[in-house]
Amino acid sequence: MNKLLKITMFCCFSVHAWASDVTLEKIRIETDISAVERGAEIMINVCHSCHSMKYIKYRDLVAFGIDKQKVDVWRGNQSLDASLLAQMSESDTLQAFGKAPPDLSLMVKARDGGANYVYSYLVGYYITPEGMQSNYVYPETKMPDILSISNATEGTQRAEIQRRARDIVSFLSWAADPHAAERIRLGYYVIAYLLVLTTLLYLVKNQIWSRLK
Amino acid sequence: MRSRIIKWIDHRFPLTSFVKHELTGYPTPRNLSYWWNFGFLAGFVLILQTATGIFLAMHYKADIALSFDSIQHIMRDVNYGWLLRYMHATGASAFFLVIYIHMARTMYYGSYRAPRELLWWTGQGLLLLLMATAFMGYLLPWGQMSFWGATVITDLFHVTPFIGDQVVIWLRGDYTVGDATLTRFFALHYLFLFLIIGAVVVHLVALHKVKSSNPSGINLADKDNIPFHPYFTIKDLFGLGLFLIVYCYFVFFLPDSLMEPANNIPANPMKTPNHIVPEWYFLPFYAILRSVPNMVGGVVAMGLSVMMFAFMPFLDRSRIPGGAHFRPVYRVQVYLFLLVMLVLGYVGYVPSTNQTVLIGQVATLCYFGSFFFIPFISKAEERWLIKRGLPPEVKIQMESEALAIENRKLKNHNRSSDKT
Repeated sequence: MNKLLKITMFCCFSVHAWASDVTLEKIRIETDISAVERGAEIMINVCHSCHSMKYIKYRDLVAFGIDKQKVDVWRGNQSLDASLLAQMSESDTLQAFGKAPPDLSLMVKARDGGANYVYSYLVGYYITPEGMQSNYVYPETKMPDILSISNATEGTQRAEIQRRARDIVSFLSWAADPHAAERIRLGYYVIAYLLVLTTLLYLVKNQIWSRLK
Repeated sequence: MRSRIIKWIDHRFPLTSFVKHELTGYPTPRNLSYWWNFGFLAGFVLILQTATGIFLAMHYKADIALSFDSIQHIMRDVNYGWLLRYMHATGASAFFLVIYIHMARTMYYGSYRAPRELLWWTGQGLLLLLMATAFMGYLLPWGQMSFWGATVITDLFHVTPFIGDQVVIWLRGDYTVGDATLTRFFALHYLFLFLIIGAVVVHLVALHKVKSSNPSGINLADKDNIPFHPYFTIKDLFGLGLFLIVYCYFVFFLPDSLMEPANNIPANPMKTPNHIVPEWYFLPFYAILRSVPNMVGGVVAMGLSVMMFAFMPFLDRSRIPGGAHFRPVYRVQVYLFLLVMLVLGYVGYVPSTNQTVLIGQVATLCYFGSFFFIPFISKAEERWLIKRGLPPEVKIQMESEALAIENRKLKNHNRSSDKT
């Protein structure tokens, strides 16, 4: 019967995400406020012109701990309860790129590979021998190389762009699952409580069963 | 005061005797292993799903224009809404895991044997209800995988003879999966909860008539039965603790591991995802569906593959009790069957290539073969084991079972001759 247990364990742990054909670069996502804030800044200045984040409100950024004055500058005359909608209208972007840019609120969750996918995509631009721009991760993409990594040849320049891409991913990861930090913090308490409770239940069980001869 | 109230109730309703006979004093074999904890766990997960589901329904909107947004509202704005939703989604997987282990235990120890056939069949009915409920619940987030999964599965009803097209429209309430489908699936997802609870009551009534099987496979003497409370209440609670550790680990640390990324994209009827996969608990059956080249054949094979378990009491012709415990050949069969399930699960998960289709077809043959050959193998194994010599307690049990069958036949014979 132990074998059966092992098989079942294998069965439930072997369910993993189906990675796409390209190998994605694995990154550690920074979750601290400063990384998310830097990412939010890049998002507002760069991505925000075409991409919306309709599930994120300006108030959420303030509640998370991003400087209120910065958020006030970002939102301009919009209310704090406004969502981060794209600056260009969807019909304009559709005309410009031939495809409506996707909403980014859930982007990190919506792709196989998650944060690694988004990061690898952002830094995956290169110049083809024909002089065209392309992307290793998603060759059909309509988005221009917004961080201009395909033109960056120097090591320091590339490192700087990679850092910016990591910050964007930090922000998008927070946006896709804003309660993740709270969830994990609570999870430690829950598991610790259950370990203690289960140990006690085990002892009580032994105590009760010892009455049987 | 308390005793007077209870006395008043007992005069009108069998409260004390019910609690005594069916709960606290319910005789339970003392040798039950931890594999017998999973029935209780399934009941617990059912309550968990009910509780979280009711609260989710308070915030959910069953409307194709609103449902995806309402899930995000639950995840972001509702107090602990993320916890409710992750508990419910993980709970679905936990439910199937617990039920599959519960079924594997029944198969391994031959708990489906007489007199527990009805117990096993009500369980089979529960499995079907659970699958239908999970399938309908999966449409509700209205993501890409929800939409395309529901489209693929409702499409299968096209194979219904003569009225296939009408049946599909009747199920969907529209020509394609749409708002009518979403609202009815939501209504039925909620309704099926009550059907499941009803079926669980029937399952428990059947259990309390025939009592639990036990790992020795032999009917125990009365002295080997112990009252359910406190011995099994505490054992089940300890098992529950272990289960909750695993469950909470997934809820708090890996909640997205069991969700398909494509389901975080709102449903788009104009764009098929690259690769449509069902949830992990349907993968083996989905692999069987895909392994048969013909659609009618595939649907029949898939339906049959789920229903095959119900035939076990007829297929297993061995008179030796205790399932795999005393039967080495049957034990190997059970392990091979579980292996085939895993292979099918893998084949159902990966995008189909020539190679995986071939593996899937071989595994499908093995799946049905492992049921088909049971009558012959079990009989041959029985002859071989009797020749080799069985433990005395097994022999006594077999003789008493044979005697019971003889007596029943004799009684029937007398009754019919009395009539004439």
